[in-house]
Amino acid sequence: MKTDALRRWLRIWGTREAYQGLLLVAPTLLWMTALLIIPLLLTVVISFGGRDANGDVVYGFSLANYLRLLDPLYVGILWRSVVLAFQTTVLVILVAFPIAYFVARAPAGRRNAYLFLILVPLWTNFVIRIYAWIMILRTQGVLNGVLGWAAGLIGLPFQPLDLYPSPGAVLVGMLYEFLPFMILPIFTSLEKIDESLFEAAADLGANAVRTFLRVTLPLALPGMVAGTILVFVPVMGSFIVSDILGGRNVVLVGNLIQRQFLDARDPAFGSAASIILMAMTLVVTIIYTRRFGFGEEIVRA
Amino acid sequence: MRPLLWRILTAAVAASLVLAACAPAATPTPEAQPSGAATAAVEPSTGAGPVTAPSGYICPEPNPTLPVTATEVNIFVWTEYIPQDALDCFEAVYGIKVNREEYSSNEEMYAKLNAGGTNYDLVQPTDYIVPLMIRQGLLQKLDKNQLPVLSTFDPAYLNLAFDPGNEYTIPYQGGTDAIVVNTDVVKDEITSWEDLWKPDYAGRMVFLDDSRVVIGLTLLTLGYDVNTTDEGQLEEAKAKLAQLVANVKLFDSDSPKTALIAGDVDLGMTWTGEAVLAQRENPAIQYVYPKEGAIFWQDNYAMPVGAPNPDAAYAWLNYSMQPDVFWMMLRDFPYNMPSRGALEYAQANYTDLYDGYMASNITNVPAEAFANAKRIQDVGEALTIYDRIWTEVKSGQ
Repeated sequence: MKTDALRRWLRIWGTREAYQGLLLVAPTLLWMTALLIIPLLLTVVISFGGRDANGDVVYGFSLANYLRLLDPLYVGILWRSVVLAFQTTVLVILVAFPIAYFVARAPAGRRNAYLFLILVPLWTNFVIRIYAWIMILRTQGVLNGVLGWAAGLIGLPFQPLDLYPSPGAVLVGMLYEFLPFMILPIFTSLEKIDESLFEAAADLGANAVRTFLRVTLPLALPGMVAGTILVFVPVMGSFIVSDILGGRNVVLVGNLIQRQFLDARDPAFGSAASIILMAMTLVVTIIYTRRFGFGEEIVRA
Repeated sequence: MRPLLWRILTAAVAASLVLAACAPAATPTPEAQPSGAATAAVEPSTGAGPVTAPSGYICPEPNPTLPVTATEVNIFVWTEYIPQDALDCFEAVYGIKVNREEYSSNEEMYAKLNAGGTNYDLVQPTDYIVPLMIRQGLLQKLDKNQLPVLSTFDPAYLNLAFDPGNEYTIPYQGGTDAIVVNTDVVKDEITSWEDLWKPDYAGRMVFLDDSRVVIGLTLLTLGYDVNTTDEGQLEEAKAKLAQLVANVKLFDSDSPKTALIAGDVDLGMTWTGEAVLAQRENPAIQYVYPKEGAIFWQDNYAMPVGAPNPDAAYAWLNYSMQPDVFWMMLRDFPYNMPSRGALEYAQANYTDLYDGYMASNITNVPAEAFANAKRIQDVGEALTIYDRIWTEVKSGQ
């Protein structure tokens, strides 16, 4: 009896395409509702609340937390985060482009090997990779060691460079961390460029620079757009690289939010800051994609 | 072919949904997973020969052995704070599995406990957060009858202001936040927090990334209370702190000793355990109790409300802190030892270790420093002001 019923049920559900679609999307839907939509709504609700003396949330409706974010102190922190994300993205594009170009122009047989090498560092834990930069950059670290040795060889006096912690070290760490996410989409764009386009450009008398500006660069744009979204958005909220390589001397919006949930015990203010960060990221992304398209390479990458 | 594949896929998803719905009821997954590198095989002692830990250490007998029916105990403790031998021996002697989870700040532990849904038997809060946890109803009173180990403790660590009569907590380790100096490179004598403001030290210092402690020591240099809630005093401290923060090269609450040992910084502030380990690497690194008063703290064991295995928890407390087990802290994680019994045991059996502990001003705190102890307390609503000051000075405002 029981198996008959199950079989009948499966037959009905297994044949109607509409139900099938619903059923297939159900796990993702449940996942997104439970772990994204509900928490997000909770964050919005909490952000309008307040804090009691013990640091618990007092629910209510007040815009105080959002008004507090207009304080120059917090605007400055948000601005600093945007600037860092912008600097990182530009730097990553500048470094990623030649690498992606080199890989895309390499003989087909070697391309996969190069791509593989680009991905290998990602096998190591992210925090460990960033800590490794401390070993390289510190006063008595690898870099100063090599420079000191080289200076000694040619008889120059050498004063160890003060590289860590510093804003420069943060940028180096960010560049290292996000480089693969830019190389891959740009590579995908460049790889698709038809060889005959370059021949046509040459036939029409374009030199290398002109070919690059008029052919290569425009056709690589979708990859750069996709890479920018993959880099800019995570950098906006990140603070670990800045904490580890910057010596925790700088407060970014990620630090600000984390402090509200831990040391400051003010979840309502932390929630408001989170919502604002999300809104800002969304606005930047929308403006950007309106201007440049969504970058179909994002899917391929 | 396609409809068949479609049908199989649909059936598979349906089946997985059903399974997912059933799973929690069928197999309760334990909240805590052991994070120790080497987990001993859990085998109760059989009486045939001595029980040993994987390291070869012969496990002492429990004194006394408590009756336990639970088969596991869930502890939520600081990182690098429990000797592996003590864990292994407890599991071997009692046949109880220890599920250890770790945290690296009180705020992290508090946030997790306050959010609910945890099943820890023991946590290790630092003194200042204990009253808050009691007020929030997160802790239950301890049954002193089940804590005979308390008789081996030094009364100086008991009955402190954060928990009068030790109703909710018993001490685990004490410690201090004070000045640390590499005397190889810093030739001036440093005696006070105030000395750290000298322009000479700009760009050469490491500080803990702890707003309460760093603002607190600034308040001390101004002659104010370390827990003040007076906005005028805090404003004054902010202006002074801004000068200090501009001179700090590195804020690090995870491992400040690393930068000190590597020579990235020459002085600053750190806590007991870090100072001992830094000094072992470089004996020129000295620990100075500032004359305004060092920050004293104490980590304690406490039992959250709803602890599922209290009997195993009491067994763990008594066994891990009985003198012939607790002495291992001097060896593995040197802090200020609140157990007189453990010190006496070390004196009799591990003389070098004991002498080292007593000879070091880091572990054996001088009486005048102890008398001048300053302790952080919860400041309630003023915490928002402290947070704002910290954010402002770090943002250069």
